[in-house]
Amino acid sequence: MSLLKPFSKLPDLNTANILLVENEEQFQQNLADTLVEETAVTVNVRLAKSLPLPMENDESRPRIDLVVFIINLTSDKSFESAKASLKYLDPGYFLGKVCFVATNARHASVRTGCLDALRQLAALLHCPLLFAEDQSPEGATSSARRLLTILKVASGLVPNTTALYLSSLTRCTMPPDIDQPSFD
Amino acid sequence: MDNSAKHLLQRLVRRIPASMLKSTLDKWERLTAEKRKSLDFTQSKWIITQELVALCEKSELTVKHITELEMIYITENPNQGMWHTFQLVEPEDDAHSVELMQFKEQFKSHLRELQRNVSVKIKKHTDQAVWIRVAWGDGLSSPNHLKATYVVLYLQTPYVFVNALSSKHKPLLLQALTLSTRHQQIKAANLSGQKLTALRDLLMRQYQQVFPTKYPSPLAESDQSISKLRVEKVQAEASANRHRMAGETFGDGMLPALQSAVFKLETKFKDPTNEAMTQRDEPFICSVKFSSSNLLESLRHCASSGIASTPVTPMLSSIPLKGRNYFVITDNVLTA
Repeated sequence: MSLLKPFSKLPDLNTANILLVENEEQFQQNLADTLVEETAVTVNVRLAKSLPLPMENDESRPRIDLVVFIINLTSDKSFESAKASLKYLDPGYFLGKVCFVATNARHASVRTGCLDALRQLAALLHCPLLFAEDQSPEGATSSARRLLTILKVASGLVPNTTALYLSSLTRCTMPPDIDQPSFD
Repeated sequence: MDNSAKHLLQRLVRRIPASMLKSTLDKWERLTAEKRKSLDFTQSKWIITQELVALCEKSELTVKHITELEMIYITENPNQGMWHTFQLVEPEDDAHSVELMQFKEQFKSHLRELQRNVSVKIKKHTDQAVWIRVAWGDGLSSPNHLKATYVVLYLQTPYVFVNALSSKHKPLLLQALTLSTRHQQIKAANLSGQKLTALRDLLMRQYQQVFPTKYPSPLAESDQSISKLRVEKVQAEASANRHRMAGETFGDGMLPALQSAVFKLETKFKDPTNEAMTQRDEPFICSVKFSSSNLLESLRHCASSGIASTPVTPMLSSIPLKGRNYFVITDNVLTA
């Protein structure tokens, strides 16, 4: 199966392309609608349920600058699907061009350990982990704003900084006692 | 009015929600308009009940009249209790010509032959449904009106819906139904649920269905707004496919609200990682129950969002196709 590569295509002028991967296909639509409202740069959004992407539209697909995995913490399937999709990304993406977004983190039905597992995964892959509120339009707006900041850097539109540099500042770090029983 | 009638009336008024009490009494027409006006519906239920009992006593109403009121209430609000479905099979030559009057007489006489003390009431509802209320009595005791069985059937259709039938009276009722509708046999249709209308819609296919076509969608109008231009679903084809297949199995519009589906498995245990269980020769017996406030809607969502694989497995798709929600699955065959 084909790997998605970060540098195999030429970039377009003043354009940033983002790929949103979400197994449930609910939050990604709202997020996409908010993202394309950005006027300073042209933002193209691709939506997918999981990777790998189909071969048929491989030619017409622009270079993807940032891959975002949206994970609903109340559903195990969401996490498993994202984990399986990671295999189809070129290692080059993990130099600052992948980002995790967790939704429903405060929901009562989140399984214990699910958040820790996601944290561990994000820390292992040196990726930032964002938390989003997916029910209200305000939640979509604020997460879109945060994603846009990362996207602009990842697509090389911000002078004097690189995705690798940004990610070394924003990546998720594992708390040292994550494997220890907590005291609370 | 004797004590049992009073008791029945009290129980009935307690069941009817306060907001519906007035309209139900209006439809009853056993109390004159003046008497109905004298009732104050803003008072508490308990006081209304007292007044109503007094009024009925004055009008010399009997148990028979009160069962009429009960029947009006149940006919208007059929979605309570558990409804079970039976199917009439092997019709005789004149089965299609049974009409209401003949059925009424036949049913009553057949049932009275089988059980001495039964009280039967038959009424035709506006939507062609025949409603039957049966109160059963044992041997010498008089009919127990507090636990009446309701039967709904549409003449000339094979399905019968039954509510609150005890296993003791089941053979009697089924025999009377079979004989009076001129059929040879009746069998359980393995469909039950709380909503009578949903069961009827499912069996008589009164919901919006989709038929497989080669060209499923009409030409889509191109939407040129900015969000459509710049947002693209990479796997749009796959997801459209899933939606289409889910629609073909479960239909497109509103679906009848079923509450549960039960699969009883009597198959061999198959799991390559668990040898001890796989090598056993006896079947592994368990039952799997799916429940939801609208099961078919949930299953359709599972299929269209990719949680359940498409094409939908015959086990799930046979719920709407065969119109049943209880299955016994033995090795390789899906049988009753």
